[in-house]
Amino acid sequence: MPSPAPARSIEELYCDHHGWLQGWLRRKLGNSFDAADLAHDAFLRLMQASRSFDDTLAARAYLRTTASNLCVDLWRRRQIEQAWLDELAARPEVAAPSTEHQAIVVQALLEIDAMLRSLPVKAANAFVMAVACGMTDREAAEELGVSTRMVRKYVAQAMLHCLRLEARGTAAELPAHAPADARPA
Amino acid sequence: MSSSDLSCAPQSPQPSPQALEQAAEWFALLRSGEARDEDRAQWQRWLDSAQENDTAWRYVEQISRRFEPVRSSPGRAAAARGFGIANTRMARRRQALLGLGALAGGSGLLAWAAWRHTSLPGMVMAWTADYRTATGEVRNVALSDGTQVWLSTASAFDRDYRGGLRRLRLVAGEILIQTAADPDRPFVVDTPQGGLRALGTRFAVRLDGDVTVVAVFQGAVEARPADAGAMRIIQAGEQTRFTGSALAATQAADRAREAWTRGILIVENVPLADVARELQRYRGGHLGVAPEVAGLRVAGSYPATDPDRALAMLESVLPIRVRHTLPWWVGIEPRQGAVPGG
Repeated sequence: MPSPAPARSIEELYCDHHGWLQGWLRRKLGNSFDAADLAHDAFLRLMQASRSFDDTLAARAYLRTTASNLCVDLWRRRQIEQAWLDELAARPEVAAPSTEHQAIVVQALLEIDAMLRSLPVKAANAFVMAVACGMTDREAAEELGVSTRMVRKYVAQAMLHCLRLEARGTAAELPAHAPADARPA
Repeated sequence: MSSSDLSCAPQSPQPSPQALEQAAEWFALLRSGEARDEDRAQWQRWLDSAQENDTAWRYVEQISRRFEPVRSSPGRAAAARGFGIANTRMARRRQALLGLGALAGGSGLLAWAAWRHTSLPGMVMAWTADYRTATGEVRNVALSDGTQVWLSTASAFDRDYRGGLRRLRLVAGEILIQTAADPDRPFVVDTPQGGLRALGTRFAVRLDGDVTVVAVFQGAVEARPADAGAMRIIQAGEQTRFTGSALAATQAADRAREAWTRGILIVENVPLADVARELQRYRGGHLGVAPEVAGLRVAGSYPATDPDRALAMLESVLPIRVRHTLPWWVGIEPRQGAVPGG
């Protein structure tokens, strides 16, 4: 982990820009709770990146970009979480998960999403279906409406994509809201 | 199968591209349900034949481990399916954002201004919805089971017809639904505030800020706010509104909730401010009303899909003046010399 920026300059940046960033986020997101959370996370990232800026414009441009990315992450998180809950609601035979269990599963799905983000949608969906559910190629093919040959191809394609990320070390990047020690042991 | 340490920084050098490709192929084969004993023996030989193969397989295991919390969850099928739906939707959003200008719909300046007055998340969800209308557009679609849905201006909904259920999610605006009969598949509509179940019907659902409004014209609808234990059946000729936690008293259905499907705004003794707000949904941009005239009562039928003509009609029957400061910035103010009546 890179050494944090000298405490004083972070304080200055915070004083100068936190209020502005929170206002910008509130307008973008339409609510102040999310805005406060993401403003906080943006400054955390700033600390970890240990950046310094020439002027206000540069600092705000950086913060705005960081905050935008966090907004996208938040939106993705909500999409994934809501889609899962909707599916569960349609399956009354599955007991509603505890909040804790929900958080764990959503976190895992977010990490998987981070890995698969730049993969074509069909391959990513097939990979998740096959691997998360432990389905055979035949079962997955039926579920997805494709041939078993395609399932095998998608799984290999997706795994290769993930392997390349892993080899580059970028797969270790966690999504925005994860506390640093949330990785499964 | 080696399951040694989990360090992400192996002491051995990086595997070659071929080793990674082979590892991916082996993974796909071994988990396919079609691997035979000979295949597993081959795989073991491959694993032992080079250090880089072993390293590559370690990566495979690391990646596979990320699925563990999902795999061991009783809700794993739901999670996998949900992920697929969300992923597809998010990919569509990326494409939508790339074509931002084209998607805003309508004439450039007006559409851009309309976009700026809406909060981003709701708009984006509307862009990626399965069905949507632009500002000022009223449209009718037929779904695969014969159900008809009319969409009001700037409205959007998603359709999910899998399993034994026909489900729509209203994302923005207002829709009118005429359900096709299907005894085996219930018909439900979800909104941010809760859900509705159709009991053989024709009904309108509208998002009004944080409130869902439902008006029934034929048959009946069961309305259920998300958090409240309460549920109520709304009959033909009735309507109600609800938030996530509360269900308001049932009232008579407002004809306006059906008239819009014919492009008509029916107004029965309603303050001018409310009429202006409704017209703005069709016109986009800003449509402000001066406080002195905001309370003037309006009655009549107005062409919703021609909002400027509607404004002209209002101008001819009320002591008001419609000022078009800019095409997308319009203000309604008292007409000079006229004294606004009660």
